Amino acid sequence: MIQPIWGPVQSQMSAILQEHPDDVPAVVDQLAKLQDVLCQVPPLLDGNPLADFNRLYLTITENVLDRLYAGKFKDPAFLSRLDVEFAARYFDALRYWTESSPACPGAWAGLFSRIPGPDPRPLPSAVAGVNAHINFDLPFALVTTFDHLGTDPIDGSDQHHDYLQVNDIFAEEIPGLRRGYLDRWQLLIDTMNGDLDDWWQGEMVEYTRNVAWRNAQKIWAVRHEQIALDRERRRLDRTASGLGKLLLSPFAEFLQ
Amino acid sequence: MASQGDDGPLVGRTGTLADLQSYLRDVGPGGTAAVFVTGESGVGKSRLLRETADALRGGGFAVLSGTCLDIGDASPLHPVLQALRRHDSALATVADDAGALLDRVSRELRMIAGDQRLLLVLDDLQWADRSTRQLLLYLLAGLGDVRVSVLAAIRAEALHGTHPLRRVLAELRRLRSVRVVDLAPLDREQTRELVSAIAARDVAVEDADRVYKRSGGNPFVVEELARDLRDGRVELSDTLREIFLARIDELPANAHAVVNALAAGVEPVEHPVLARVVRLPEDELLEAIRAAVAYRFVVGDGEGYRLRHRLVAEVLEQEVLPAEAAALHRRYAEALEVCPGDADHARLAHHWQRAGSPDRALPSVIAAAHSAESLYGFAEAHRHWTLALRLTGDDVAGADPIQRTELLGHAAESAHQCGEHLLALARLEELAGRKDAPGECELHLRRARYLAAAGRSEPAEREYELALAAPDCTPQLRVTAAAFLAELLLHLGRYADANQYARDALELAAINGSTADLVRASAALGFSAAFREDPDAGLAVIRQAVEIAERSGHPDDLGVAYLHLAELLTGPLNSIEEGVLVARRGADRLASRGVGRTYQTRLLAIAGNGLFRIGQWAEADSVLEEAMRHRPSGADAVELLLARSRLWVGFGEVDNARRDLDAAATLLAGGGARHVLPMLTLRAGLAMWQKEHATARAAVQRGLTETRSDDLVLLGVLAWHGLRAEAEARAAGSTVDPGALRRLKTVVARLETGAGNAAPEVRAVIDGYLYLCAAELSRVEDRQDPEPWARAAAIWDRREQPYPAAYSRLRHAEVALARRARRTAAVAGLRQAYATAIAMGARPLANEIKGVAQRFRVSLAEEADTVPMPPPEPDPGDELAVLTGREREVLAAVAEGLTNREIGELLFISERTVGVHLGHIFDKLQVRTRVQASRVFLTAA
Repeated sequence: MIQPIWGPVQSQMSAILQEHPDDVPAVVDQLAKLQDVLCQVPPLLDGNPLADFNRLYLTITENVLDRLYAGKFKDPAFLSRLDVEFAARYFDALRYWTESSPACPGAWAGLFSRIPGPDPRPLPSAVAGVNAHINFDLPFALVTTFDHLGTDPIDGSDQHHDYLQVNDIFAEEIPGLRRGYLDRWQLLIDTMNGDLDDWWQGEMVEYTRNVAWRNAQKIWAVRHEQIALDRERRRLDRTASGLGKLLLSPFAEFLQ
Repeated sequence: MASQGDDGPLVGRTGTLADLQSYLRDVGPGGTAAVFVTGESGVGKSRLLRETADALRGGGFAVLSGTCLDIGDASPLHPVLQALRRHDSALATVADDAGALLDRVSRELRMIAGDQRLLLVLDDLQWADRSTRQLLLYLLAGLGDVRVSVLAAIRAEALHGTHPLRRVLAELRRLRSVRVVDLAPLDREQTRELVSAIAARDVAVEDADRVYKRSGGNPFVVEELARDLRDGRVELSDTLREIFLARIDELPANAHAVVNALAAGVEPVEHPVLARVVRLPEDELLEAIRAAVAYRFVVGDGEGYRLRHRLVAEVLEQEVLPAEAAALHRRYAEALEVCPGDADHARLAHHWQRAGSPDRALPSVIAAAHSAESLYGFAEAHRHWTLALRLTGDDVAGADPIQRTELLGHAAESAHQCGEHLLALARLEELAGRKDAPGECELHLRRARYLAAAGRSEPAEREYELALAAPDCTPQLRVTAAAFLAELLLHLGRYADANQYARDALELAAINGSTADLVRASAALGFSAAFREDPDAGLAVIRQAVEIAERSGHPDDLGVAYLHLAELLTGPLNSIEEGVLVARRGADRLASRGVGRTYQTRLLAIAGNGLFRIGQWAEADSVLEEAMRHRPSGADAVELLLARSRLWVGFGEVDNARRDLDAAATLLAGGGARHVLPMLTLRAGLAMWQKEHATARAAVQRGLTETRSDDLVLLGVLAWHGLRAEAEARAAGSTVDPGALRRLKTVVARLETGAGNAAPEVRAVIDGYLYLCAAELSRVEDRQDPEPWARAAAIWDRREQPYPAAYSRLRHAEVALARRARRTAAVAGLRQAYATAIAMGARPLANEIKGVAQRFRVSLAEEADTVPMPPPEPDPGDELAVLTGREREVLAAVAEGLTNREIGELLFISERTVGVHLGHIFDKLQVRTRVQASRVFLTAA
């Protein structure tokens, strides 16, 4: 490490990232600890893009945990694993970034590199994080979870139902993601990756949530083939990085 | 896979090296330990493995090492079989089932270790096949009875994405005996030190720092760059690729050829193979190899040659022209075909495939698939079948269509076997679309089977119906389809429909059915009848199935029939004692024929769990001990370990309980969500006896996030443990967690709703736990009310389960004594609880009771004199030694002249159960009358 990436909170960050949370309460705990530390990252303190995303993610995960306790999911074992597996990828990305490792996915590096500024807005930052997390991390987290449980990702299954519920939580918690903004988003994303057919199926979160599930099914089929898997990962990282760049560019200001 | 021979000094790893050694010596409760070293390629994992192994070898450790292959379709257990071969120990890999194979490997490892610990070193674990991963978990869980420490290296890059090791490691991290060591690159200082050591002189700080910058502290690259510095070579390139390409250009032409050949090979490459691939006269070849070694590209040992680092192979792969690569692979394949020794089908298939000769690859691929199946490596076999399909695709010229149909059948079945249900279905669809596809009925049947396995009951049901309606449905197929369908409907809780199909199947089966179909249909009929409140009819049908299976004598038929009967008795009929008898008898029958290991294990697990519930813990202990001797693996092993730790928790044997729970957790790391809840419940129970309320709370709360809403019974036990943890925290003067309490109350409410909709026999169990929950809640809220505890004791008495009943009596007495109300009744209850606890051997419970007795100055002694003591250990020469404890009790009563009914009343069992016991006693003592039996008893006693 040539210079500490996280400045004065470097050692706190490293210490937090030493932990590998293995159940949902522990994930919530870890996110809460991260929130404290992220709010001390200079120069913007309370308002850096990652803190914005982390705050949103913490709220969402707390919501998921409440629903787990309330028995709202059909297959909680699946959902708990998915939540842990999902979060682990965010923590991994942070860990790679902390170690200046080239292994940090591009989708995340784009957001992390914006922490020192210039002045990003909370909504696009949070959404950029959601983008990296859902468009890149989620399909892999899904596949690992299914692999562990020994079941297949099947449309209409209990697991699919639960998965969609999580996405409802995401949709509820992203304050600005209302229909009014969506027309403009649509335009942007169309020009970006041209997946028009997918896009027209619905609004932003619905769009990404189906894409993540479908991508998971795609990866599921090739998960034993290292080369095909790597290709798929690069493809997803490219798409998510591009989308993230766009979200963090001045272009996205009109979303606010 | 890393560099070997003339290594540079080991810099910056002294601390890690010492840590690894101490971790590997620091075994957990199960006598095993593991260290997983992760890090990027070239960071020095393999070096660290080697140094650690060298340090431990001789110091009480026998060392075995193997390396996983990256050819993706290597044979099952490759690294371990390789390690054994290196030790000149060839394994006979023929076994009855997957579990027996694991056992055989363990036995081999045990022999090699002798009286030392075994250090199993596995490099490049990211490429391990599924079978190897399973073996690893089996060994680490202590099931192989090998005192093993595992040291494995994993490339960090590989853990991205969806690698199965990700989850395994995440689960294993929880265990004390497993460490994951992340190996970081060297820092600036360490890089300087390494550069100076290699350059053998003082290096200018700028130079060293440049090396640091270019290498990122990766020791492998640092070494290479430091050598350049020493040799005065000026290098401007920054990427690893350029560094190595520049270097390879300096090689003499023949040495270059050797390096290229090795990059395409599967290491280690034996000398005769290399000679055929490189095609140089012997002298020139030797010289070329020597040059490649001198330039530090190649290392060689007794097994053959390999590149110093796999990174080099990866760089070279991109440099070699496709035609060149194909030619090399063809030469490898040809060389392997003529070389003596057992054909390595996987390796041969790998080369032929990359040689661009699919037709020649095919036989090896098929052979590799068959040999994987013979090692129960269904996942690997499935990959081979898939490859074979690709090689014979309809667009491949000269492919044989008949062969393709056959391959599709194999591919579908192997996918089903390894749990890839979607793939199995996809293959089956393709098969169905072929002209020479199997008949319609058979296709529907197979599709239904795969769908049911994938948990898609509705389409599965439709497929079974289609199979029944198919015009080509023979009577035999009809029986099979109806029997399977009845079984499926039973799982769906549709007892009336299940009953109907089972009847149909049985009627047909009388003429046309196989025993397997008969047994399956009888079981479905029996259970559905029992659930429809005609238990005797149901029991009669399944008993008949047992008789039929006895006549056929086939282990599967016998196993399944006994299993169904035992489950019916211990489950819905709550006739536990008789169920236990049936289970043990079934296990004996199979054991006497030396077959059905898996069924024996499962039957004994049922017996053990039943004995636990009726409070015969010593007997349960010996049954589970016997079951463990079968060396179960996978889910069977988890069941048994959990059953045994339940017993340990009850006995208060903390270390044993921890050991078994850790072992179960290790196995669960490989998958198996449905056992997580019982494990967490037991962890909570153990923590409570240790007064570790916070640990208990954490375990329960985690369990609450992972409970399916239809696991009502599991949820009930968990909620009780959670409330008990809060109550005990309160009693101990620490705080109650309001959040946890609120959530537990929500769960109880859910349970109450769920119980209303549950089947009667499930409901009865849930009610027992709901009463316990209500009672604990009164304790949390400090209501000092003995009533809920009295109710709980009563319901558990009715269910004839002494442990929770005794616990409820203890709490009842505690509250009643504190309120100074009805002291006599309270004292009597406390004494009764104490007697039960002592009889079962439940030490922690007995201690709590003693504590309460002391607190309220109650003497337990008076009652203790009349405590029914556990039957004395039988004398080994005793004629009665063949009898179980319960059988001895029954026999003693017979000798007193009691009737079956009187004995039943005395021992709290049904008259029928007494009859079954007597039957066994007669068998074992080889007598035919009660009088003869009494005589044997009186002479022996």
